[in-house]
This record gives sequence, C-alpha cells and structure tokens, in this order.
Amino acid sequence: MASRAFTLTTDETGPRRRLVLTGAVTLADGDVLWRELRAQFAASRDRELELDVAGVTRLDGGAAALLSSLRAERMRGGLDLPFVGASADTARMLDLYDCARTGSCDPVVPARSTTLGDIGDFANNAWRTTQAILGFLGDLVTGLVQGIRRPRTVHLGELGQLIERAGTDGLPIVILINFLVGAILGLQGAIQLHRFGGDQFLANLVGLSIVRELGPLMTAILVTGRSGAAYAAELGTMTVSEEIDALRTLGQDPQRFLVFPRLLTLVLVLPVLTLVGNLLGSLGGLAIAVSYLDQPAVVYLQALQAAVDLGDVGTGLLKSVFFALAIGLVSCQRGLATRGGADGVGRSTTSAVVVVLFALVALDAVFAWVFSLLDW
Amino acid sequence: MAIVLQARDLAIGHGSEVLLDEISFDVQRGEVFAVLGGSGCGKSTLLRTLIGLQEPLAGRVHFRGIGPPAKAMTPPQFGVLFQSSALLGSWTLLQNVELPLRKWTALPPDAATAVAMARLRLVGLDRFAHHLPAEVSGGMKKRAGIARALALDPPILFLDEPSAGLDPVTASDLDELILTLARGLGVTIVMVTHELTSLQAVADQCIMLDREARGVIARGSPRDLAERSADLRVRAFFRRERAPRTA
Repeated sequence: MASRAFTLTTDETGPRRRLVLTGAVTLADGDVLWRELRAQFAASRDRELELDVAGVTRLDGGAAALLSSLRAERMRGGLDLPFVGASADTARMLDLYDCARTGSCDPVVPARSTTLGDIGDFANNAWRTTQAILGFLGDLVTGLVQGIRRPRTVHLGELGQLIERAGTDGLPIVILINFLVGAILGLQGAIQLHRFGGDQFLANLVGLSIVRELGPLMTAILVTGRSGAAYAAELGTMTVSEEIDALRTLGQDPQRFLVFPRLLTLVLVLPVLTLVGNLLGSLGGLAIAVSYLDQPAVVYLQALQAAVDLGDVGTGLLKSVFFALAIGLVSCQRGLATRGGADGVGRSTTSAVVVVLFALVALDAVFAWVFSLLDW
Repeated sequence: MAIVLQARDLAIGHGSEVLLDEISFDVQRGEVFAVLGGSGCGKSTLLRTLIGLQEPLAGRVHFRGIGPPAKAMTPPQFGVLFQSSALLGSWTLLQNVELPLRKWTALPPDAATAVAMARLRLVGLDRFAHHLPAEVSGGMKKRAGIARALALDPPILFLDEPSAGLDPVTASDLDELILTLARGLGVTIVMVTHELTSLQAVADQCIMLDREARGVIARGSPRDLAERSADLRVRAFFRRERAPRTA
C-alpha cells in the first residue's frame, strides 16, 4: 500500500464521536481520504460526528473540496460534520470550497433522456432537417434567379479548382470501385447463367445493371463520401469560425459565393464520373466473361452493344444530375447549419452523409417507378 | 519568498527567426507575474516555451528546481488557460474538469465528480456543469478553462490573455477570480496580457517585451512601470500611445 501523508483516527471521549485528521491532506491521497471518511460515516450510522482538523499541516484545494462534498452529503442526510480546530490557512481553504458559501450544496443533476423523449427528439429533428433543406432549396432557387439576372454576383473563380478536387482527384477511386462492382456482379451472374446455359446473357445482366442502376448509384455514393462530406466539413468550419457571417457583412450571399459553385461542380462532374463508372463496370463484366466463361471479348462486347442503348445510358445520366443536386444541396445546407465547435462540424458531416445516402436511394426508387410507368 | 519558476537566457523563435533573445526572469511563489507587450512581440510564444509546448532556441526554464516541464507519464506541474479556453467541445464543462482528475488521480468516480464540481463552484459555474462549451458565454468558457487548469491543484497557473475579448464587467470578475486564486489558494500565476486594466488590478510583478528590441525592455511592478519608467516605449504603452520609433 502506498504511503500517505495524513492519519485519520477516532476519539470517543467527548459527547460526539470525533474524527481526528492530522498531517498533510492533499488530493494525492484523496482516494484514501474519501474511502476512510465514508467508512467512518457508515460505521457511525446516525451518531453525531465532528472532524477535528487542528493537526492538519497542509490542506490543498482538492482535499478541501472532498471534505466539503462529504460534509454536504452528510447534511443532505439530516446530519452534520462540523470542522473544528482549523488553523487560519485550513479555515481559509475550507471556506473557499464551502458549497454553502458559494451557492447550493445540492448536486446538479443533468436532464435525463427517456426512450419516448428520444423518439420525439428524433422525429422533431427529422422534421426540422427536412424543413431546413426545403427552405434552403427555396433560397437556392431565389438565389439562382438573381444569379441568372446578375451573373457577376456568382463566384465562379474557384470552379476549376473545385472540378479538379471533385472530378480528377476522384477518378481513381471511381474507376476501381466500379470495375470491382462490375466484376462481382459479373461473377455472381456468370455462375447462375452458366448453370442454365445462358452465358451469352452476361453482357445484358452486367451492362443494364451497371448503366441503369449501379453505375450512377455507386458513383454518387463515392462522390458523397469524398466531396459531399468535404463540403459539409468545409462550410461547417467556416460557419463556426464566423467566416460565413463575415461574408454576409461584406455583402456576399453565401449561397452564390459558396453553394452555387459547388452545386455546379457536382452537376458537371458527376455525369462524367458516372460515364466513366459505367464503362469500367462493364469492363469488369468483360473480365469475368473472358476469364470465367472463356467467352471471346468480341462476343461480350457485341452482346453489350445490343443490350444497352443510348436510352439506358441517358436514364443513368439523368439520375446522376439529380443525384448531384441532392449531394450538393444537402451537404452545403448541413454545413451552413452547423452549430457549436469541432463536434458540431463532425455532427454536420455525419448528418450530411446519412441524409444524402437516404436521399440517393429514395431518388433512385422514384426514378425506377417513373421509368417503369413510362416504359423507359 | 521562494522562486518557483526561473527562465535563464531564453532565445525564442521559429526556425532561424529569433523573436526574443536573452530573456531571464524569476517568478516568486504566490505572486501574479505578468508578461506584457504589444501585439506580435512574442508573449504567447514565450508562454508556449515556458509550458514546454515549444523548445527554446537557447536557454532553459526551471520549475521549482526540478528541471523542464514534464511531458508525459507524470502529472503536469502547472495548469494552463489557453487564449481560446480550449475546452473539449463535445464534453460538458464538468467532464472537461474531470478529465485530468480521472487521468492522474486514483479518486473514485463520485469523488472525482465532487472535486470537479467544487472547482466549477469556485469559479461560479456549478449550475452550468452539464452544459456544453458551445452553450455558455466567452467569459464562462474562460472560467471553466481556469477550473480545468486548477483541477489537480497545480502550484503554478499560466493564463494566456485571460480577459481578452471580454466585456469590462466579466473581465473584472475574472480579475477577482485570479486574485482569489493567488491570495486565497496561494497559486503562483504567470499571465500574458496586454489589457492594462487587468494588469494593474492583479499583477504584482511584470516584464514588458518589445518586438523591435527582441527582448525585455522593462521589469517591476505595474505601478512602477506606469509611473516611474524612464523608457519612452514603456510610458507610451501605459498611456496607450504609439511607441516612439527607435533609430
């Protein structure tokens, strides 16, 4: 057991049970002090107690805080723990940390959440987020009209840099992931098709799945993770560091200055990335056709050409434009709605990614339904 | 009085750029020692060097004769209030103050909470213990930063611009708190400031740094410097005037 610099003894000679504290009482021995005094309280039950601190040679703030807290705890139980015999230094320290001197000794209890309350908060937040995004969309349309009337108020100076960051820099991951998705889809399809002698339909399966659904969706998800999260974090940091407020005071509309260029970037970049993703996804299927089914490449490519027409590519590209708008809109709105500090930026970024992913899947479902109605 | 902090022949800067040179001073136990000077003179860099966040280019810092500040594995010998308070944003004020207690003491959780609450009560923030830093004012953040710096009863507190950006009433409350810590708890306080009102209210001794001189141009009590200094730059500073240009 580590040595300690104080002693705690009991004196039963007086009318009250006296606890005698001597030596240097500091935070370093706070755990021992806390446990021993608590044990004395338990042993004394309802008996009157007093703490003799005349022999205390040194009392630091932490130890004084512990003594004060233990006394308050005892007082809440209808008893007391008067401190007796304190030297001037000890009395000053005890007085400084006396909770009764500076306010209430009652513990401050945090508001507790309940399951029902949590569900209510979640629903309320979801509603408010939806309202905020729709309000932001309205502001955006208004700003767009004003931007078209006065194009010079839209800040397009960094468009090239934004396109490079979202497009060129994102190309390698889009290529890799779409190729692998095409290959995985191709392999799963090839195993089943081969069992029924339908090897020649692999190009139809992979081509249509990639071009109409998986290419646009996977590319949008990748862009959400790279650019959407980056926009939310960047605008969130600008918000908490008051840069957005500064822009407003300089007469700059944050939407035209920051949001439009990012939206335009995504609308320009995502369809191009989607086209690349479609191509690489189809090539992933080709790799499986050649390696697993021993199909000549030209057979796969001819089947692909027959299966996928421009309309199919067009549906994917049309979706990618709407996906781009959803990513830009939600990410920028979440970023600009950031409150608090570093943790607020983290929350906004997480919220942006989650809401965008939900929006992408919801949009995809709507498109699937509309295209089926149009027989497109 | 005993010396608790000694700086000897410190040279401070970034890379080959020397901001301050030949800085020497002693801080006595229980005094409020202020480092003052205009913007950009190296006050905060000196503070970072004293607390071990930046290596001096030359010279050394001694704490109570135990050498340079410990960097790991041992409890910090001092508490620090950063200019921005630097509270952890996703933690409540109480959790911020509890952090060093949980790390460096063997206190049971309820005892650590009791000590942290007492620190918050000392700075008048016990009612806001469960608030996040984003939910309280700038002055409250500063006071919470002081409560956290005090958590382990350090013998020395370093305060970087404690009253900067605060309204006069809040700044005055903070000055009163600093005096309570120094006079009531016997804590030695080293503060960096350019707030003259705060300086004159709390500081026992001070040194004044100058960017052009790249060093200490005056030392003494704030009153001596304000009323008796022969240095035109010091007098101009205390009169809130532009310093005369040196040849």
